[in-house]
Amino acid sequence: MILALLIACAQTPTPAASPAAPAAAPAATPVAIADPVGVPQVLAAPVAGTAFPAPATPLHTPPLAEGDGKDKVAAYCSVCHATTYITMQPPLPPEKWKAEVEKMVNAYGAQVPEAERAPIIAYLSAHYGPDRR
Amino acid sequence: MERRRFVGILGLGGLAGAVLMRRSAASDTPPATPSDTPPAAPPAAPPESATVLGGEPPAFTGPGPNLWWSSVGPYVAHPQKLPLIQLTDRPVQLETPRAYFAQAITPTAAFFVRWHLPNLPDVDLASYRLRVQGAVEHPLTLSMAEVLALPAMEVTAVNQCSGNSRSRFQPRVAGGQWGNGACGCATWRGVSLRALLERAGVRPTAVQVQLHGMDTGNGPEGKGSHAYAKSLDLAGDALDHAVLAYAMNGEPLPALHGFPLRLVVPGYFSTYWVKAVGAIDVLEQPDDGFWMKTAYRLPDTPNGGTTPAEAATVATKPIGTMPVRSLLANPDGQTKLLAGCPVTLRGVAFSGRGAITRVQWSVDEGATWNTAALGADLGPFAFRTFEASWTPPHGGTFVIAIRAHDASGAEQTDDPLWNGGGYGWNRIERQTVVVADAGGAA
Ligand code: HEC
Repeated sequence: MILALLIACAQTPTPAASPAAPAAAPAATPVAIADPVGVPQVLAAPVAGTAFPAPATPLHTPPLAEGDGKDKVAAYCSVCHATTYITMQPPLPPEKWKAEVEKMVNAYGAQVPEAERAPIIAYLSAHYGPDRR
Repeated sequence: MERRRFVGILGLGGLAGAVLMRRSAASDTPPATPSDTPPAAPPAAPPESATVLGGEPPAFTGPGPNLWWSSVGPYVAHPQKLPLIQLTDRPVQLETPRAYFAQAITPTAAFFVRWHLPNLPDVDLASYRLRVQGAVEHPLTLSMAEVLALPAMEVTAVNQCSGNSRSRFQPRVAGGQWGNGACGCATWRGVSLRALLERAGVRPTAVQVQLHGMDTGNGPEGKGSHAYAKSLDLAGDALDHAVLAYAMNGEPLPALHGFPLRLVVPGYFSTYWVKAVGAIDVLEQPDDGFWMKTAYRLPDTPNGGTTPAEAATVATKPIGTMPVRSLLANPDGQTKLLAGCPVTLRGVAFSGRGAITRVQWSVDEGATWNTAALGADLGPFAFRTFEASWTPPHGGTFVIAIRAHDASGAEQTDDPLWNGGGYGWNRIERQTVVVADAGGAA
């Protein structure tokens, strides 16, 4: 169950229609993390030398609301960051969500085809706007 | 939904799973100014079959200001860190719980974490080189061993995210919805950036120094979503105390804090404290990259504020030094107070614009202000602890307000503050507490 949860969190769909977007999905393999609960005293495979690999950090992304457009948002809006960037926002009116999507496309270079933008903005406004929150 | 508050603890020791536990609050309704109390002891390892209690923590607050002291994410333990309040997992953004703000030095394991880009670098010190290049006479290529052999300096300084307390702004603004815990104070050890630049010989035509992080994002090259770089003016005071640090609180920088080298710019907001520095470019033209030209800009007004109506047209400038502010760690909204029984008010004050000179507290809506005792002076850029003993005279509801002053003559106020980025929050914080009557005759 635990493993399943971590793996579920780690699965980040990659947009099919986004050829320029590099693979975004982080490594799906959960790893034992040194934490106050289970700090390793004996390392299974101690690594000496000069290498300091990037740490494997735990993945925990809350789910997106169910509804039309969810799949598009899950695909296009998780390339550069977790969709928690969406779900943690306070209620934003539709014009703010439109501005956010345009900012992602224009300022950050999100590869979201023109035709996909309206349904994405509609989903964000419907679930993360003042009406629902 | 936003009225409910849970603590989630994601313990990953031995693949133990996620357990979301109900916060100890007795009711679903937070007190007017609620608190965040971290778990008193490290949580016990959750059983393999642990079920998720109460579902996910609340995802958001709003449309009013966040009434909690912290943001509302779950507690998650990351490598070399205690369980901290997680805003996002990718990139990693973690907030320090409230109880750590009663001490001048924030433990590294509890220190907040804020990356913009999800991919931290793999660093191999056999091939790692710090490069100092651009408008310099002698470009430098230094191995970590060579950096460690340079004269070292130490500074104790507060690192505070520009967007700390963004969730307080009204109307609310988009961005990381931090509570008050996106700051911390550490002792940083490394080499002076100015000395390094002198070694390279900065050309007289140079205007700025640009630091590049080795972290990467998944956006296209040339965009802010691909790489992170920030620049500081060579003229002015930003570089006077700047340290390219390799140690934090006496230990090598953890990866989440920017191993192997990060910039420390005492007095300035974190946006300039570039982590995992690979290259330093000396520029002859001001940096026009995304993270300078578009992001992290403040209205060019006396307090960095504007109004939603004027936000689009107001002139802006890169954010700079931190205004004076203070944080009350204790009591919080869960502390049980008793009439006639003293309680110690504890917290920290800091400013990027001058040493803390005075911290005052009021329990009568600001009619009278009392002066708190200041703790050890760890230098003008550090947290200054304060404490004061208060004996609630009778039962009832009280509001504790804290106000800090700095050597520039600035003090915290209740003046309105709003800007579109949600930057530079420093209004007076208030804590509502309930005092019980002792019962019987005195
Ligand atoms: C090409 C990369 C990329 C893609 C794709 C992308 N974003 Fe972003 N987004 C960013 C970056 C970079 C930030 C700023 C990160 C930071 O400061 O921590 C950001 C921040 C945000 C924020 C926080 C507010 C803000 O403006 O900083 C929201 C909300 C957001 N993104 C929504 C979306 C949505 C919705 C989508 C899908 C349409 C999306 N993003 C797709 C790169 C991207």
